[in-house]
Amino acid sequence: MEEMTLKKAIATAMETGMIMLQNGAETYRVEETINRMISSKTNSPVEVFVMSTGIIVGAHINGEPYTTVSRVPSIGLDLETIARANSFSRIFSQGDMTQEETEIILGELRSPPKFSKPIRYAFSGMAGGFFVLMFGGSFVEFVLAYLASSITVFSMDKLTVRKLNFFVKNILGGLISALLSIFMVFMVSGLSMAADFNTVIIGPLMTLVPGVSLTNGIRDLISGELIAGTTKMMEALFIAIALAFGVGIVLQGIIAFI
Amino acid sequence: MYIITQGIYSLLCVIGFSIIFNLPRRLVPLASISGMLGWIVYIILQQTATSFIIPAFAGSIFVGLVGELAAIYKKQPATIFIIPGIIPFVPGYGIYYTMFHIIDNNFSQALVTGGESLFIAISIACGVVIATSVIRYIRPYLMSQGDGSF
Repeated sequence: MEEMTLKKAIATAMETGMIMLQNGAETYRVEETINRMISSKTNSPVEVFVMSTGIIVGAHINGEPYTTVSRVPSIGLDLETIARANSFSRIFSQGDMTQEETEIILGELRSPPKFSKPIRYAFSGMAGGFFVLMFGGSFVEFVLAYLASSITVFSMDKLTVRKLNFFVKNILGGLISALLSIFMVFMVSGLSMAADFNTVIIGPLMTLVPGVSLTNGIRDLISGELIAGTTKMMEALFIAIALAFGVGIVLQGIIAFI
Repeated sequence: MYIITQGIYSLLCVIGFSIIFNLPRRLVPLASISGMLGWIVYIILQQTATSFIIPAFAGSIFVGLVGELAAIYKKQPATIFIIPGIIPFVPGYGIYYTMFHIIDNNFSQALVTGGESLFIAISIACGVVIATSVIRYIRPYLMSQGDGSF
């Protein structure tokens, strides 16, 4: 009986950790969470090892070593899920939740509430547009960056559903944002309004740039998590290379044809 | 006046990024205000400091401190306040111009911009780590009336 509950607790902790890691939680937070959830059910030592691509948990059941491993594909960044998983782990390790309650909450964690689509795209336009204004863009450039970032986030959402390779997905993202910006700048110059392409394209690119993975990776490195930090930094580096590739193709094409 | 308009722009920008990252709705105001304050620190320092690292470093320390305090107040993990707040410092311009110079066959300029972007990213991370460590150190005094966990 004790063995079954402990195995279930490990499985639940693993599932929670996977959901957190997929949605962009830091490595140390995932390790702490899994450790806390399992340690609340057993007195024997628990070892958790988390990388950005997988989780290994080692525990002791009746003195026998027990290890589980799972691969974790990255999805993106979802702060709502991180907050919910965090509070779920606190409740789980404090009290006695029944198996049914745990299942229900895990199901909720897998499909978190999202902002409705119009709100999401309206506000993602705001993110890119106001970023351009912060770096001294004009009003025309703001409007163009607003539209371009909104459409870029929309198409990236569509590409994420297709489960593309992350490198190809980001090349397409860079390509789309550069094409949109160039197209819009040309349209506007036809209406005899001035807009600088180099300023406009920053808006949609900012919604794609891996700033969070980069800073999280460096944070992991600083705190001594060398493997986790390196993998995060590498992911960020290759996303940046992919974006540069996508934008670069468009710029080269323009240099060649115009 | 310049600082006020910059503050408003950064507030709206951080709100936008909070929605992209699916921040819980009731936490959006706090996160965006912390981002705005950090950006104002950045702008003020940018006008006076000669180094390109200091503004991003001080700004992210500020965002980290506000985020950690908000985390204690709201009993939520601190990252969900810090991640939207540091986005304005992320060297998007630097990354774009690095790529631009590479296409332009101007490799020495690409190295300069790329290096600057990398050091800005490192200074952001250092700032956040410093803020987190400071708060970890003084948290027992701040939480003396609570149960010590959040």
